[in-house]
Amino acid sequence: MLLFMLTLAVSWPSMGQQRTVKGTVLDSKDNTPLAGATVQNRRTHQQVQTDEKGAYAIAAQPGDLLVITHIGHKSLHLTVGNAEMYTTQLDIAEGQLSDVVVTAMDIKRNPRELGFSTQTLSGKTIQETQRENFVNGLQGRVAGLSITPTSGQAGASSTITLRGFNTSGVNQPLFIIDGIIVDNSTFDENSNSGTTLGLASDRPNRTSDYTNRIADINPDDIESITVLKGPEAAILYGSKASSGAIVITTKKPALASKLRLSYDDAFRMQWINRFPKIITDFGPGTNGTPSTTSFTDFGPSLPASAQTFDNVHHFFRTGFAQTHNLEGSFGTKASAFRASGSYFDEDGAVPNNNFQRFTFRLTNNTKIGKWVDLTPSATYINEVNTVPTRGSGGYYQDLLVWPATNDIRHYQDASGNRTYALPAADPSVEVDNPLYNTHTNFNKANTYRGIFTLGADVHALSWLTLSGRFGYDTYMTDEFDIYGPQSSQLVSIAGTLTGAYNLKGALENSWMKYHDYNHTIYATAKKKFGDWTVSLVGGTTYEDAEHGTFSVIGTQLISPTRHDSSNTNPATRQRLLQNYFGKYNVSIARNLAYFGQVNIGYKDVAYLSYSQRLEETSIVPKANREYNYPGGSASVILSDIFPAMKRGDWVNFWKVRGALANSARLPDPYLNQSVFGNNYASATGLAYSYGFVNNNPNLQPERQRTYEIGTELTLLKNTLALDVTYYNTYCYNQIAQNARESYATGFVLNTLNASSLRNQGLEITLDINPVRTNDWNWDIQFNFNHAWSKVLTLPAAIGPLNDYYNSDDFVTNGARGGFVRGHSTSTLTGWNYNRNNAGQILINATTGLPEVNQTFLPIGDRNPAFTLGTLNSIKYKHWSLSFLWDLKVGGDIYDGTDMILTEYGRSPRTADRMTPRVVKGVLDDGLQNTANPTKNTIVVNPYLNSTNYYGETTGMPDEEFVQHNVNWLRLRDVTLSYGMPQQLLHKLRVVKSLNVFCTANDLVLFTNYWGPDPAVSGSTAATRGVGGFGYDYFNLPTPMQLNFGLRASF
Amino acid sequence: MPYVMKKYLLYIALFAVSCSKKLDDAYLNPNAPTVVPIETLLPGIIGSMVGASSTTGVSGGVAGDALVIGRYIQYWGDYNGQSNASYIYDEMGGPAFTSATLATIWNGFYFGQGQNLNQVINWGSQQQKWDYVGVALAIRAWGWLELANEYADGIIVREAFNTNLQQFDYDPQSLAYDTCRDVCFQALAYLSRTDGNVSATNLAIGDAFMNGGDVNKWKKFVYGILARSYAYLANKAVYASGDYADSVIKYCGLAQQTNDDNTTAKFSGNVNVSGNNSYYGPTRGNVGGLRQAAYIVGMMTGQNPTFAGVFDPRAFYMLRMNLGGTFQGITPWLGNGPGGGFTTASGDPNFPPNFWGNTAAPQSASAPSGATTGTLDSGRYLFRNNAEFPLMTASEMQFLLAEAEYRKGNKSAALTAYTNGISLNFDMLTQKYALNVPSDQAITPTSEATYLAAVTPAPEDLTLSQIMLQKYIALYGWGVQETWVDMRRFHYNGNLDPVAGTPVYAGFTPPQGQYLYINNGDSLVYRCKPQNVEYTYDIPSLTKIGAMNLNYHTYEPWFNQN
Repeated sequence: MLLFMLTLAVSWPSMGQQRTVKGTVLDSKDNTPLAGATVQNRRTHQQVQTDEKGAYAIAAQPGDLLVITHIGHKSLHLTVGNAEMYTTQLDIAEGQLSDVVVTAMDIKRNPRELGFSTQTLSGKTIQETQRENFVNGLQGRVAGLSITPTSGQAGASSTITLRGFNTSGVNQPLFIIDGIIVDNSTFDENSNSGTTLGLASDRPNRTSDYTNRIADINPDDIESITVLKGPEAAILYGSKASSGAIVITTKKPALASKLRLSYDDAFRMQWINRFPKIITDFGPGTNGTPSTTSFTDFGPSLPASAQTFDNVHHFFRTGFAQTHNLEGSFGTKASAFRASGSYFDEDGAVPNNNFQRFTFRLTNNTKIGKWVDLTPSATYINEVNTVPTRGSGGYYQDLLVWPATNDIRHYQDASGNRTYALPAADPSVEVDNPLYNTHTNFNKANTYRGIFTLGADVHALSWLTLSGRFGYDTYMTDEFDIYGPQSSQLVSIAGTLTGAYNLKGALENSWMKYHDYNHTIYATAKKKFGDWTVSLVGGTTYEDAEHGTFSVIGTQLISPTRHDSSNTNPATRQRLLQNYFGKYNVSIARNLAYFGQVNIGYKDVAYLSYSQRLEETSIVPKANREYNYPGGSASVILSDIFPAMKRGDWVNFWKVRGALANSARLPDPYLNQSVFGNNYASATGLAYSYGFVNNNPNLQPERQRTYEIGTELTLLKNTLALDVTYYNTYCYNQIAQNARESYATGFVLNTLNASSLRNQGLEITLDINPVRTNDWNWDIQFNFNHAWSKVLTLPAAIGPLNDYYNSDDFVTNGARGGFVRGHSTSTLTGWNYNRNNAGQILINATTGLPEVNQTFLPIGDRNPAFTLGTLNSIKYKHWSLSFLWDLKVGGDIYDGTDMILTEYGRSPRTADRMTPRVVKGVLDDGLQNTANPTKNTIVVNPYLNSTNYYGETTGMPDEEFVQHNVNWLRLRDVTLSYGMPQQLLHKLRVVKSLNVFCTANDLVLFTNYWGPDPAVSGSTAATRGVGGFGYDYFNLPTPMQLNFGLRASF
Repeated sequence: MPYVMKKYLLYIALFAVSCSKKLDDAYLNPNAPTVVPIETLLPGIIGSMVGASSTTGVSGGVAGDALVIGRYIQYWGDYNGQSNASYIYDEMGGPAFTSATLATIWNGFYFGQGQNLNQVINWGSQQQKWDYVGVALAIRAWGWLELANEYADGIIVREAFNTNLQQFDYDPQSLAYDTCRDVCFQALAYLSRTDGNVSATNLAIGDAFMNGGDVNKWKKFVYGILARSYAYLANKAVYASGDYADSVIKYCGLAQQTNDDNTTAKFSGNVNVSGNNSYYGPTRGNVGGLRQAAYIVGMMTGQNPTFAGVFDPRAFYMLRMNLGGTFQGITPWLGNGPGGGFTTASGDPNFPPNFWGNTAAPQSASAPSGATTGTLDSGRYLFRNNAEFPLMTASEMQFLLAEAEYRKGNKSAALTAYTNGISLNFDMLTQKYALNVPSDQAITPTSEATYLAAVTPAPEDLTLSQIMLQKYIALYGWGVQETWVDMRRFHYNGNLDPVAGTPVYAGFTPPQGQYLYINNGDSLVYRCKPQNVEYTYDIPSLTKIGAMNLNYHTYEPWFNQN
């Protein structure tokens, strides 16, 4: 609608008399009418829009070319003949072929003129994947976009990265819905000793998980998604979009349309079908000596008569989920409404894991007089997520180390007390029974959210439009995290881990609130001067975002089942700093910006764009507060400049483009003011001392210089479309937040502008349409991505071989994600073997075991060599089949699960423990660096020396657990659907369309990974920097899912 | 329309101005204070002198390192001998470069006190609270000396507390000594001021758990620091010629004279907050695995040749009797393991219980069940949750005086100081540390007099050995760093008493052979490596002073040299 109004304002009067041509535009997928499609007569430039029946009428004469466009669909060219009625089916656009792209600031532009690469996906495609968190449906569909789900649990958060990692701060893109900034944060549990947002327990983002907030959006409300990967996003959206932007356009009601209802549902079953290999051949003990007090399986072999249980299979259940969506719309000539409601309820494959979401959305489209268009919307969301404790010490670890001779199903005695596997019944020795763990230790978060948007466009003059986008996004989360009074689970309190049984249980209650008001007000002017088209955009944007948390943790539970904060001993309660005064800890960020853009087009074949943005933020001190950055882009349609090349239909279209921008990136608020925290020394009243971090008053925003060049080619009668992009991003003046330094600063950590890195990549999208007949259509899209990066500088305090790391990524003792100069940003650093100058492993001359170097050196790189998403879409009459293969080649994974299982004697690598061996290496005997080092000949028997041989610090450092070059090929989503033919539906009268479908997720996985699933993450999406991807630490594998459902409209 | 547009533009402009102001409003951190009253900073700074708890302060203070250094000087050792992961310290080894052991003085000085103390000076000066400024400087002076004594030349003096630096240069130990004295004189000047907003009542808010707002006690503490700073240079030629010894005598005369003057850290003992409790108490649980060493037990039970046959009634206050009814101590590197002199690995009635008196299971690292808090606190002496922790005592000053007079040849003055030192220590025990002492073993004037008579020679017969050993006893448990300075000055058992002809530290046997840590190369331990974080971020400086060498901890410090 907006598009219509905008373009109407700049359309030229028609020239001469023609007859009226009528037509209908349908969605090729299910033959549903497409309302709001734009039909333009290329000769007269007149354009009209389809109504709710998909119908249009336009003046044309035979030979005219009509261009039919609809957001989210491929455009279609129709040559007018002698007929008066035309029925046109539009295909869903999977990539850049759409003829209208919603770019920054809700500005719709013709992709011809864009100097940068974008990819657009239709909402339908995303919805079809049946992913409750729609971002998971983006993986493989956009070149340069990668999604890392935190785990296979229902409601898990997902990390989204566009074009690699540019900062040790936040790397996730900005989300925009209808021109409004919408929050996608994941709750961050770190509270820096209670001084920031986070939890009173102040812990890394590794045990609980909270949904990333954009997953609140009902996929069914999405009309299309445009991914702005490169400089363009940053130019106009500013610092918040320096990692790109994901621009969502929602479904809007059409004016003058009849009442229309639609309903769809889906029922899903879910299974965990991949398990790590564990061995259960040995009994408890250490060093070959049996023990009844040990939880490690390094005792003698189990006798053949021993009864063992298939605990892993007894643990998981068949998950079940259902979705229902109901939608209705109608419109008068002046005003149209759309209402949609959805209900989603999922029981995950892990006991006590549940995710529920209810959404309701109301959209309006009102036209006031000739000039004003208003599009308000209101969305209400309620989400409840119950998640058992994951990761280190969570149920999955418990499950994998639980003795095979003990049946996990008997996890409670008659009086509800925990049962034990060992006779001593000592909670300090054994872990929880995994079923006991999931029922006793879990987190439940209840979120209420409202998103209100208002779009206003005033078509003041034929060449001038004033637009405003006003948004208010607010939510509250009420959450608790409980640890049972008998549990062995470690509880973090102020950074110290204590067994829950020692604390007599623990309960943390937290309340988070968020509100963000933002608006963008801008004017667009567009005019044609001869061969030149000039458009100017200028405006201002303002955002006021405020996060708050209130968090209380207490121990000594009064009741193991009550979840209110009064259930703990008041004397044990700890809070965030302001919570002691009854106030929330808050984080406020306000940004104000002015921007302008000039676009110049010459004869519709060459385009030039220049933008400038001036931004001010509350986050940095006044002296550094204003920053100013430019950007530009150019594109040239070579195939139109040299039309000769189009002869013979070999080349249909060829464009070259380039764009560059300089932008900034902001740190968290308050990083420039050192703060005092509570000090617990004896005092008569409150006592304070500085926290660990020196917050730097001279901090400046990070800067980023980026450029991209690319080309688009359409070949062979439009059956083949190729888009190639190379980008190069240089990030400098980066803030090393919490960088470790000598204590001589007076602090433990420092904050300073000191680092830089460079990111480069090649993105190729290839669309092929090999079969196109009346009955058959087959589209294949390839999304290829090859990216590489290098850390250039780090704070001088960090030695040439040392790493800068984020404590969240420090998942196990001896491995973490770390930035090392000259290495990739996704480097893994960890404990390693001591080696001689020739690189041979040094062996202790008395024990015969390798020497472990407990300093963090690079031990792997998680960055893949390339990724390739292959999307097939096959249609035969009313049947359609689509499937997405996701290929990843290369990239290392640290298997911390195997490391722990090895120490427990459950890893297959310990199966041959009874075979004596000589560890390959040279003795550390003083000759190790001579020409003739002494070859190790000391025989060791791991069975008799299990503690040392398999120990992380004594025999097998973390280096040993890095699996290099892990590949995967997975069938992400496959959907088969059948749309009832119109003839049949006609008989049903009320039903306008009916579709039945079956979708499978993660059906097939081929991988060379040792563990069950290489799609792993050691931390949640709240983690900054590179995050936990490629870090396997008791990561629940992605479940396989089967969905069945139907879609009907009335 | 143009008019309407102008109006809109005006609105936009007004809006923008108000937005800009809103940015200013949001700049300041609403969650945590960036400025606090200095009265609330001092408790944490004092807490970091002994043993701060985690969260803020990362276990700073003397107590953490004392647990390790106490093994070097054989105050105690771990019950587990060679089976204990930390036995390398019983063997006089130094920690691995990556280890955070022996870093609590470093942590307390640079971080726990660090910028907090700087702000007391900074804001205190602005607020004219000169007493606070003086106290802060006194603590800083004390810190410089403790830091220098422990880490020798691996310390950062000139570049300390510069947040703009990313790497730091090390300074010689002598510079810290000079800086210490310089700061002492500044402290004295401020502590003497009565103008501005100086107020004993107000000082008592921050100083409640040290000197209770008494600036005179702080001054005595500062004089004591000065006395120590000269006393420790007894090996320097200039000491004997008079300068340093005279300074010791002078400052000892100005320092603590009575037990009431003692500088001790107090604890409120709230069991729910570990920082409210002594580092040695059962709530914080740090000393459970330690056992009294044979050397101190021998000295107090008449087995040391210097006090042969004399039982020290203080033993019931400071040490623990075993189930067999005797006082026994362990050889630190042997513990209850083979060769340790105890019959079985566990349950030997001769094996000493731990400092919290867990006799039920002598080989235990925990406190007796339930005996951890309040009146049930089973510890005695320093090993209670709310026991005062001395940082400097009048008794110690008398021993410094005794040594100085002795070296100057004033044997009679030395003897007076020597006996004063002993009886002040007796008094301190009876006044402050009588809890959980068997009632029939309480010190009486008679038992004190009997003991004093037995260890007091004629003035001309007084030996350096007697002075140093009585000082060794009087500083037991708390003056660990000071005793280590003393023992290093005498090269442990290396320096002979000029009169007795036996080692000054008579009867002291350092670990040797297979029990001397392998990296030591036959040398004893003389310094601590800089804190482990330096080994990641200050490698060029470490290399310059040899701190990357595996035997760095055996390098003798500057104060030892002539």
